[in-house]
Amino acid sequence: MNRILAIIRKEFIHIARDRRVLALVILVPLIQLFLFAYAVSFDVKHVPTAVFDQDHSVASRAYLTTLERSGYFTMAQYVDTYAQADKALTSNEVRVVVVVARGFGDSLAARRAGRVQVLVDGSEPNSAQVAQNFATVLSRMHGRTIAIEQAEQRGVDPAAMGGLSVVTRTWYNPEGRSANYFIPGLMVILLTTVTIQQTANTLVKEKEQGTYEQLLVSPLSRIELMVGKITPWAIIGALEVILVSAAGMVAFAIPFRGSVVVFAVASALYVLCTLGLGLFISALAPSVDVANLLSMLIAILPGFILSGFVFPLDSIPWVLQVVSRIFPAQYFMTITRTCFLKGGDFAILAPQFIALAIFAVVIVSASALVYRERA
Amino acid sequence: MTTGHDIEPALDIRDLHKEFASAVAVDGVTMTIPRGEVFGLVGPDGAGKSTLIRLLTTVMVPTSGDALVFGNSVRTQSDAIKPRIGYMSQAFSLYGDLTVRENLNFFAELRGVSRADAAKRATKLLEFSTLTEFAGRQAQFLSGGMKQKLALAVTLISEPDLLFLDEPTTGVDPVSRREFWRIISDLNRQGITVFVATPYMDEAERCTEIAFMNHGRIILRDTPEGVKSRVRGDVLEIGVADYRAAMLVLRALPFVRSVDAAGEILRVLVDATDRKSEFEDRIRAALTDAGFPVTMMRDGVADLEMAFATLIPTGESAGSSAEELAAVTG
Repeated sequence: MNRILAIIRKEFIHIARDRRVLALVILVPLIQLFLFAYAVSFDVKHVPTAVFDQDHSVASRAYLTTLERSGYFTMAQYVDTYAQADKALTSNEVRVVVVVARGFGDSLAARRAGRVQVLVDGSEPNSAQVAQNFATVLSRMHGRTIAIEQAEQRGVDPAAMGGLSVVTRTWYNPEGRSANYFIPGLMVILLTTVTIQQTANTLVKEKEQGTYEQLLVSPLSRIELMVGKITPWAIIGALEVILVSAAGMVAFAIPFRGSVVVFAVASALYVLCTLGLGLFISALAPSVDVANLLSMLIAILPGFILSGFVFPLDSIPWVLQVVSRIFPAQYFMTITRTCFLKGGDFAILAPQFIALAIFAVVIVSASALVYRERA
Repeated sequence: MTTGHDIEPALDIRDLHKEFASAVAVDGVTMTIPRGEVFGLVGPDGAGKSTLIRLLTTVMVPTSGDALVFGNSVRTQSDAIKPRIGYMSQAFSLYGDLTVRENLNFFAELRGVSRADAAKRATKLLEFSTLTEFAGRQAQFLSGGMKQKLALAVTLISEPDLLFLDEPTTGVDPVSRREFWRIISDLNRQGITVFVATPYMDEAERCTEIAFMNHGRIILRDTPEGVKSRVRGDVLEIGVADYRAAMLVLRALPFVRSVDAAGEILRVLVDATDRKSEFEDRIRAALTDAGFPVTMMRDGVADLEMAFATLIPTGESAGSSAEELAAVTG
């Protein structure tokens, strides 16, 4: 126990005396949080839009007003030809062109469908996708409004008209604010990067400066060394979780609807996974550079891309889905988003907790084994 | 010294081997080293000295064979060995960002020294190694000699019975080296057994016994006096203007067995015969012919440098003289 404490105390001295590590652990996460949350917003609002109104009728203007009032589209230009529309898109002045076909008003008056074309700049896939969806939904809503008006004009109770109407509601994040799912996700990524990289470094560094041999000739056991090395970063990982959560909740008003206990247990379990991974790398890597590279690779690949942070895991190829299931990031991602946005308890999150626990046991025993082999 | 346990020698090495993928570093070493010695391990770079020390300190596991440290096997009883040994590796192996005192405290805690004992010993060791006034300085800002003394102090904090030193004074100035060896001698007087690898013959001279290691094997073991007495031949000390060029001339002579320089004086070993005066004349003639007249010539005694140059099997000593001469003149 005293030996473990000696290691822990020593590690904290290293951390406190190395400004780069301090910056990496405290400053970088905060900068990333603000950068991501502000600049890399997935919210689609005020999309610059060009209007090509071929109809110039009361009905077409009413339709365009509906689009603009939604707040998702800003009418930046009015064009008169397809050539102008094309130019507006290629010059990046607008992302969307709404074309109202000639005869739009007449068609509506004749109770036929009015024809509208929406041209979307596909070079920015995310906003393109969202803008397209909004345009479709808004057009349908506008169509319903017209239908109701027409029914009332004819003295028919619109409620008695029958037919089906689909109503979509987004739960947990009704406004689709990207900060709400982005910040909890970002926290997972930051925690992954820092803990893997720092632990991956810690032992290789001892090997490079020759102090590892001194540890080997001391009565310190491998387990004591591992625990001593892991503990400071577990504590720092916990502080990091609190720091980013607090910043997210205060600065971006993201909710926390779940149980703090569930979240704390999940975080502890996940940090155990990433620290185990870091130690594993540390035991295998021949130099600090290799350790850094490996940990960045692992943190970025399964951590960033295959955790469901950016790309929905249902839409990636099955091979990558298998890989993502092996790596613990996606389970913790699910737990984190659930805790922040939905609520949830141990029973609901049991599959994720079990997956994390299995990974933790496997990776920690694996690195303990590798240690024995490599010593 | 009354219990059976204490009768064990410090080291009992039995046919120890260590093979790496690319080379055999330790190739069957067998020797017993009693307690109380300052045992010197000498040999060229790559001879396997560091690997042998790593095996004996349980940092590495042998490929085959075994070694008993105070009767405990390095293979199976490393837990019993570690508390009794101190190991100072070749490179500076302390934490540069920790202060002198923090380094001492850390290794004291690691080795289970009680806080009170650690404080007492740290004070004594700092004084002993004249580091007291630098106790609060980060180790990375110490001079080379101070770093080595700190490394020694750290290995002594647990009061080991056997001290392994791997080239402890490499890169250290002569004054610090002398001071370092004064400390080693003091420790040895207190009963600590010392096992030291060194490339310096003047350091080997201070050992109670020395072993010469080459290509993973111990090829010679004796006291320094014993090693020197094995040298066959007569030693001449020669003063000459350009001693470097003169060395090459002398090495080309068939009866000259080794030449080395002590300062600007050449120390020449010639074949042991009754023709010593004839050899002297031929050396004078050869040097005069080459344009380096002899200014002084006197009898000398063999030293370790000379002993190792002549005692190791031919083909393994440094460079054949004919080749060297050809390379320079041709």
